[in-house]
Amino acid sequence: MLGQILVFGILVGALYGLVALGLSLVFGVTKILNVAHGELVMLGGYASFWAFSLLGLDPYLTIIISFVFLFLIGAFLYRLIFSRTVKLPEETKIKNTLLVAFGLSIILQNLALRFWTADERGITASYLGTAFTVLGIRFPVVRLANLVVAVFFLVALQLFLRKTYTGKAIRATVQNWEAASLMGINIHKVYLISFAIGAALAGVAGTLVAVNYSIQPSMGLTWTLKALIVMVLGGLGSIPGTLVGGLILGVTESTTSYFISSNYREVAGLVLFLLVLIFRPQGLFGVKEG
Amino acid sequence: MNKKRIISFSLLIITIIAMALLPLVIKKDSSINLAILVLLYMSLASSWNILGGYTGQTNLGHAAFFGIGSLTTRLLWIDGFPFFPSFLAGGFVAVALALLIGIPAFKLRGVYFAIGTLALAQILNITVGNIFPEMSFNPAISDYQIVPRYYLFLVLAILTIGTAYFLVNSKWGLGMMAVREGEDAAESLGISALRHKLLALIVSAFFAGLVGGAFAYYHVSYYLNMPFGPEWTFDPMMMAYIGGTGTIIGPIIGSIFFVGLKQLLVWNVGEYHLIIFGTLFILIVLFLPGGLVELWKKAQTYLRRGPSQKKTTTPQVAKT
Amino acid sequence: MLSIEKIDVYYRELQALWEISLEVNEGEIIALIGPNGAGKTTTLNTISGLLKPAKGEIRFLDKTIGKEPVNKIVELGISQVPESGKIFAGMSVYENLELGAFVPKARKEKKQSLERVYEIFPRLSERQNQQAGTLSGGERQMLAIGRALMSKPSLLMLDEPSFGLAPILVEQMFEMIKKINQQGVTILLVEQNIQAALDLAHRAYLLENGRIVGQGTAKDLISFESVRSSYLG
Repeated sequence: MLGQILVFGILVGALYGLVALGLSLVFGVTKILNVAHGELVMLGGYASFWAFSLLGLDPYLTIIISFVFLFLIGAFLYRLIFSRTVKLPEETKIKNTLLVAFGLSIILQNLALRFWTADERGITASYLGTAFTVLGIRFPVVRLANLVVAVFFLVALQLFLRKTYTGKAIRATVQNWEAASLMGINIHKVYLISFAIGAALAGVAGTLVAVNYSIQPSMGLTWTLKALIVMVLGGLGSIPGTLVGGLILGVTESTTSYFISSNYREVAGLVLFLLVLIFRPQGLFGVKEG
Repeated sequence: MNKKRIISFSLLIITIIAMALLPLVIKKDSSINLAILVLLYMSLASSWNILGGYTGQTNLGHAAFFGIGSLTTRLLWIDGFPFFPSFLAGGFVAVALALLIGIPAFKLRGVYFAIGTLALAQILNITVGNIFPEMSFNPAISDYQIVPRYYLFLVLAILTIGTAYFLVNSKWGLGMMAVREGEDAAESLGISALRHKLLALIVSAFFAGLVGGAFAYYHVSYYLNMPFGPEWTFDPMMMAYIGGTGTIIGPIIGSIFFVGLKQLLVWNVGEYHLIIFGTLFILIVLFLPGGLVELWKKAQTYLRRGPSQKKTTTPQVAKT
Repeated sequence: MLSIEKIDVYYRELQALWEISLEVNEGEIIALIGPNGAGKTTTLNTISGLLKPAKGEIRFLDKTIGKEPVNKIVELGISQVPESGKIFAGMSVYENLELGAFVPKARKEKKQSLERVYEIFPRLSERQNQQAGTLSGGERQMLAIGRALMSKPSLLMLDEPSFGLAPILVEQMFEMIKKINQQGVTILLVEQNIQAALDLAHRAYLLENGRIVGQGTAKDLISFESVRSSYLG
């Protein structure tokens, strides 16, 4: 039984890690804490849902659509809104971007409500109900796919950051933005691309959410909180840490689900979040500042 | 100065009297409900503003106090306790919660405090929803009278705003604002940031709890975890920002504006008011942090000076 | 090549520079000397675009660059080595140099620029794949300069290149700077080490309290107290 709990936790945790990946990237590079991240996940979910329902695409193929769609939306939102807050000094910047992101979440939530109604939507396809059983432990296909997709994008992101010029420019900006700009790197472009990628990753996560669970306009807050929890657990700005943070959250939830009640799954994660915030704010992998 | 004071004070008295006489003039229940909603938001926004606007601590979990106040009052009152003590109990339980979480919460600075309080409110939201999944019904529904509820909200709004006013204009208020401008700087001046934040939190929570109690008195039937919902933090917060945080009148204007807008748009299309409000909120945070109050002041200065007055150019330093 | 006319610069709401004017001709080594806090770094930061002048003009190769963004100015051919190098500690030596060639015109010639840098600083070639954060002080300085060279600048600005280096390394450092200049790069140098700076440079400007109080060669500046004392002290 414990094996099953662990496996479920890891497979779900992989999804959580992916959800947090975008947020972690954006915060690490631009110091924007985008509390509208959950709404971006929601939009990704809807993009996939409509692509699936109207175009009949395979659910996992719709990942391409949600990625591109959210990349563009992210770039747009950054240009329109967040580019104005990044110029502020550090303290006010963090607070104001938090507020602005929060306002954005309200807008996106209600726009979705207006256009798509409050009905829950989900993506279900024939092969998605199946599962493998290994050593007496059930591996649902959908959940396994989470792990595959999450690892794929994690590796892709790492490769991007390490091997491409743009990726290196992003890393340089994180380490020392002044020196980076003296290299001729356009910091605003770096921020724009990072934010867009972060949004795109949220979109992909949204697809998985639509397949694994269901989507509705009000789902944003729950997923934003999950992303925040994972980010804090894994250490702010640490990308591999984000995946591990996700796994920890996943296992915490599945354990709570089994030993207490599935109603308290979320609460367990939130309580863990508060404990980590209070006692170890740099997370389990982050470096303490100052 | 003195003449201004007398005018504002008289206006205040007139407004209060007018509000007090309102139910005698307007008999339509829907209008009174609307007025109650405005008063409720006024109290919630003002109480949020004490911690969020004047002390600069963005509290995203204000609904926790609103919720716990309403939960306490409702449970006691439905169980047979007389209303008024139940009502006060709501406020005090909220204070107890504030004290309980205050010290650990304030270990978190800035944005961590915000997301921490957000998490806390969600924890309560979910937990209360799990413990009390059924709707709470008020058995004495046939005796229901709206007018006493109206006066309760009115008195509560006056008390909340009045307390905010006197607190802000006291030595404590000065300390709170100093903390807002810069905690470390305030500490170096001998101002205990923790004490001031705690005071602001307690006062803020107390009134939020009382409003919760009034909410429990007002609604005939509702889900007990409903007042813990995030909208009860976010809406008052937006009202405070749009009206002008760090002012007394800001939350008042904001709440009137919010409810008014909501009413206006309901006639055309539903739910648009939040989209517009959210947009306004962003615009204000970005371009007009003082809210409508600042806009009003700027308009006054502009009208007084006239458009021909040119400001001396301030030196431009690139802030990349 | 570079001419600055009467610029006023503010840093964090306070005025830092008053009516600074200076000129750098092609092929020269010009030094900016003066005590701590005189505004030397501020001057460099204004030229490179990190700060913008409130008044006055900066012209480079007949283009006004006062209001241009930093990356544009780098593309035009000005490269600044900031104080204490500010290398990217979490990346390898090679990656640091690679990033130096970020601008499109430099990227095309990355290979050649790299060879050139390794020729001037052979130590960097040895440590190519090492994490930049593990380099010694002198090596970091070399890396910072090498990195700036990768963008193929026509004007190289160095902010206190000798800072924190042992005297032998300082000598070597200045030798390398001379070599770079001989290869055709104009140099604008900020230095606290007045003697070494005056030795190396064709001309110098003396900055005190945000103003230029003197200019010329060592002979011209010897009349100033601060310059004299650095030779005697």
